[in-house]
Amino acid sequence: MSGLFSNLTHFQALTLFSLAVSATFAFLSKRGAVERAKYFAWAFLAFLLVAIGIGWLMYPFSQ
Amino acid sequence: MSEAVKHEQGTGSSALGVTAAVAGWAIPGLGHLLLRQWSKALVYFLCVGGLAWAGLAMRGGVFGGNSSDMFDRLGFFADLGTGVFYFLAHTIQTAGPDVAHASGDYGTRMFATAGMLNLLTVLEAYEIGRGRRA
Repeated sequence: MSGLFSNLTHFQALTLFSLAVSATFAFLSKRGAVERAKYFAWAFLAFLLVAIGIGWLMYPFSQ
Repeated sequence: MSEAVKHEQGTGSSALGVTAAVAGWAIPGLGHLLLRQWSKALVYFLCVGGLAWAGLAMRGGVFGGNSSDMFDRLGFFADLGTGVFYFLAHTIQTAGPDVAHASGDYGTRMFATAGMLNLLTVLEAYEIGRGRRA
């Protein structure tokens, strides 16, 4: 089981993190399957897009 | 608010709230399981447990309680939030931490995040047990 997580790429780690946090927040803050699904999708995509956006913003400084 | 929700919010006690909170801290999701919130129990266990396990498998650092540095202490309290995963960290993470690499650093954050998420679920379990929330 440990081997499954030991060689994750940065994006895979980000995706795993986003999935777990979004699902937990959805169940903590919303009631009903539809509301939770909408919130989960919104939070998950926001996590991914913001992280990728910040990554691109920092890209010039890595040169 | 539906009648069923109003009824559920009216029932509960301090003892049930504290029991659910302690159980939820010890094993993520157990507090909600005791309160018969099956779907929440399963999701919290999988998300908190998966994040904690991944953090340890990525060789993230686990903070000890004997540090004098304030950030390390905050990290300790965050890590302690994972309950049983904190106490089993050295069993799960046989190779030890390796925060010199990016994956180990991510692992440290994931484990701490799992602890903070679990503390949020513990607060919710307490509120449900007290009858303040359905």
